[in-house]
Amino acid sequence: MKLIVAVLKPFKLDDVKETLKSHGVQGMTLTEAQGFGRQRGHTEVYRGAEYEVDFVPKIRVEVLVEDGQADDVVDAIVSAAATGKIGDGKVWVVPVDTVVRVRTGERGADAL
Amino acid sequence: MIHLLGATTYVPYPSWLNPGDNTWQLTAATFVGLMSLPGLAVLYASIVPKKWAVNVLAMMFAGFSLVLVGWFVWEYQLAFGSTSLGGGVKVIHGVVVQTQLTGTGTWKHFFDNFIGKPGTTTDSHQEQGQAMSGANTIIPFHFPTASLAYFQFVFAAITPLLFLGSVIGRIKFSAWCLLVPFWSTLVYCVDAFMLWGGGYFAQEGALDFSGGYVIHMSAGVSGFVAAWVLGPRLLRDRQHALPNNLVMAAVGAGILWLGWNGFNGGDPYYAGASAAAAVINTNIATATGTLVWMGMDAWLSKEKKPTFLGGVNGMICGLVGITPCAGWVNGWGAIAVGATACAVVWVCWNYLSKVPPFSRVDDALGVIYTHGIAGFTGGMLLGIFGDPNMIEYGCGNANASGQVVATSQATYLAASKTCTPFGVNGLMYTGSAHQLWEQFRAAIWVIFWSALVTFILMKLIGLVLRGARYKDDILEVGDLAIHGEEAFPEDEFATRSDGAFAMAGIGEGAAREPETDPLPSPGGGGGD
Repeated sequence: MKLIVAVLKPFKLDDVKETLKSHGVQGMTLTEAQGFGRQRGHTEVYRGAEYEVDFVPKIRVEVLVEDGQADDVVDAIVSAAATGKIGDGKVWVVPVDTVVRVRTGERGADAL
Repeated sequence: MIHLLGATTYVPYPSWLNPGDNTWQLTAATFVGLMSLPGLAVLYASIVPKKWAVNVLAMMFAGFSLVLVGWFVWEYQLAFGSTSLGGGVKVIHGVVVQTQLTGTGTWKHFFDNFIGKPGTTTDSHQEQGQAMSGANTIIPFHFPTASLAYFQFVFAAITPLLFLGSVIGRIKFSAWCLLVPFWSTLVYCVDAFMLWGGGYFAQEGALDFSGGYVIHMSAGVSGFVAAWVLGPRLLRDRQHALPNNLVMAAVGAGILWLGWNGFNGGDPYYAGASAAAAVINTNIATATGTLVWMGMDAWLSKEKKPTFLGGVNGMICGLVGITPCAGWVNGWGAIAVGATACAVVWVCWNYLSKVPPFSRVDDALGVIYTHGIAGFTGGMLLGIFGDPNMIEYGCGNANASGQVVATSQATYLAASKTCTPFGVNGLMYTGSAHQLWEQFRAAIWVIFWSALVTFILMKLIGLVLRGARYKDDILEVGDLAIHGEEAFPEDEFATRSDGAFAMAGIGEGAAREPETDPLPSPGGGGGD
């Protein structure tokens, strides 16, 4: 099994969610995140004072999939989230030893 | 039921009371009270970093309460009593008289008319009897002392709360609770008596419609001096001074704006044309100020963006600028006052702030600019834009109870041997700079007195409490260290630790999980 982690632009969430559904992914976990890459941060102005903010708002999407599914799902996320502009984010894949469904105790692929 | 003509029966109030005037005074007072709680409390608490929000709220509610108790136990009589301590103002045959209107300008005159005679405002006659104060010596009040005293209380209360914005982020809660009653007694009551209560500057002819000097300039100067004595906030707090909630800032700011209808509309003391004009002028000046600041941000600032909090600053500059002028300028005057006060403060905010002493003092929310400088500018502009045709009190016929009878518009506006309609002679309309000079003298006094007494009080409080500011380890934490509370606590992470509710009968049964989950949670990964 694989854990796919994607850090993306927040306004792309709906597109990513739809594409995951159409690829048969049954669930996802979403976190609001802050980050920077080559895009760097931005400035904000409050009461005439300028502040450097090193991070920009991102969403962090996590999905668990079976090994054979991972490449397809990664490609789907990338094509749904891409705008071609700097700051589109990153997707990475990590191997997963075990998954347990808490309600039933099922393990492995059955728990996905 | 038959009423016999002339027979005594039940009545709701005596004939000196006018229900319209009394209704408006109590309504206006409540509007002004809402400007403090929640208006100013919410505005300030939402534009500080979230680690300081609870501390701001706690000091707001404590400050309001401290002034309230002090006001009725001793302060009201100091500021608005019918008798001055030095005897320059006193009651003769049931009427408040300023006894030294000729031969003014001496030190004796100054100290005879410096402050009211201390006393309580708590007994039945004081609360329900007809208001009598040097605040108005030309027409009898149409409401009881309770109405006047509460109306004046809400002004006294908001003044220290305004300059709380200068000292937040380091002043001890105990230091604040000592400062407020002493400051209110020694600074606010003196300035209020001298300018409003019929004291020295009132007799000399200085004017302040609703508190450009007594409230805003005094708050700005006092906050600046207190911030200087206290020293700056932590470097980290200054570098991360972000607001925590701009939406709540909008709620606080909006309550301030509309609450100001009572602030300026209540000060004629009668629900008449002057009150209406003051409300309109207040709103015109405020809209102008808001637009001017946003425009200057958009075109003149480095970022070239119109900012919302800039608009709030401009709104406050318009409100504060028009406060000393409200019923005494016309609509064009209100636009001019709003635009000028806002532009002056914008320039000071962005440029004067880089020059000593302003660059050396950490006035956390910039009260010296939006209240101090805006109040001074507005007070001076009254000497220029005061329109003698904007009548606060006209002429006509009254019955023995002081109620108006059969007075036409023409009579109201016509001068006679016994009465001249009261308006302000500004430079623009009369060519005379006399009013401007009186405004300037009063401004110098209020700046001097506010600065001097605040400095002495802060030093004394520092001695008594062995430092008026918290140690750095407390400042690093903020609300949690001082109050044990957070502005936005997380209930899921907190569990009651004092054992309460762990008693017989309130245990497992009451806390058991529901058998069906009404809101299914999403799975962590794959669906289920």
